[in-house]
Amino acid sequence: MNRADWILALAIVVLALLVGPAVHAASATAPASIVTITGPSGTSEVPLATDAELHVTGLDGEVVVVIEHGAARVEDSSCPDRVCVRSGAISDSGEVIVCIPNGVTIRIGGERSDGLDAVVR
Amino acid sequence: MDSTLLSASAGTSRTSAATRRTVLAGVLLAGACVLGLLEAGVASPVPGVRLGLANIAVLVALVSLGEGPALAVSILRVGIVGLATGTLFGPTSALAVAGAFAAWAAMVIALRSPARFSLVGVSIAGSAAHVSAQFAVAAILVGAPGIFGLASFSLLASLLFGIATGLVARLVISRLEGSVLTGR
Repeated sequence: MNRADWILALAIVVLALLVGPAVHAASATAPASIVTITGPSGTSEVPLATDAELHVTGLDGEVVVVIEHGAARVEDSSCPDRVCVRSGAISDSGEVIVCIPNGVTIRIGGERSDGLDAVVR
Repeated sequence: MDSTLLSASAGTSRTSAATRRTVLAGVLLAGACVLGLLEAGVASPVPGVRLGLANIAVLVALVSLGEGPALAVSILRVGIVGLATGTLFGPTSALAVAGAFAAWAAMVIALRSPARFSLVGVSIAGSAAHVSAQFAVAAILVGAPGIFGLASFSLLASLLFGIATGLVARLVISRLEGSVLTGR
């Protein structure tokens, strides 16, 4: 390998190291910014960007959903195990928190319009 | 390359330059197909994105035959491997064609450039272009630019593959020099 080769190799390494953070930055500004909350009484979509505290009526009582700093979490729930509370905060598209006793799901992203759950190629 | 086979034909006839070139192109195409099939059997971190072992044959074709035959070897290889693996005209083929064409174009540019890349450098350029083009087409097909997040890994891998294929190509070309196939 001569000098030109090394420069090219170095350029590719730099490009490879830059492309990851660049994509991350680009997708951070892209609006993957809706939280879909589904409960026994229906479905509602709320923006992830605005901080809010939502009280969702579940089968077993109330689920308190807090949206803060672009992430959603279950602050409190009437369910016995409180798995949903311990699920922590979600912010990436497709992430889900489920409270089974209350029949409530909190999902980042809108509902797919094509009726598919996922597409694998 | 089996030298006894080559010298036997050298002794008996005056093979025309055109025939030699055709034979060498055929041999390289066959080699490219074998490498392509070999690669199709190896798992890739991103479905459909290949690192480009067949670039060895394309690079040899580029150096010993020229730009046109190299493109022919590359594109025909994609068709034949697609036919053999049953992915022809599927989304994988779009990736393969884009990758093959980009790799060829990058290697042509690298060979022509005043920067005087060695064969390894030319191979690296082809390999990186191969991976990048496949990611670009995949992003368009899937409609999710997020898959570029996987490009870091593949680009680094392509660098290693590019060096490896460049070294192999250099070896093959040095053996071809002076053989009856190149007529030099």
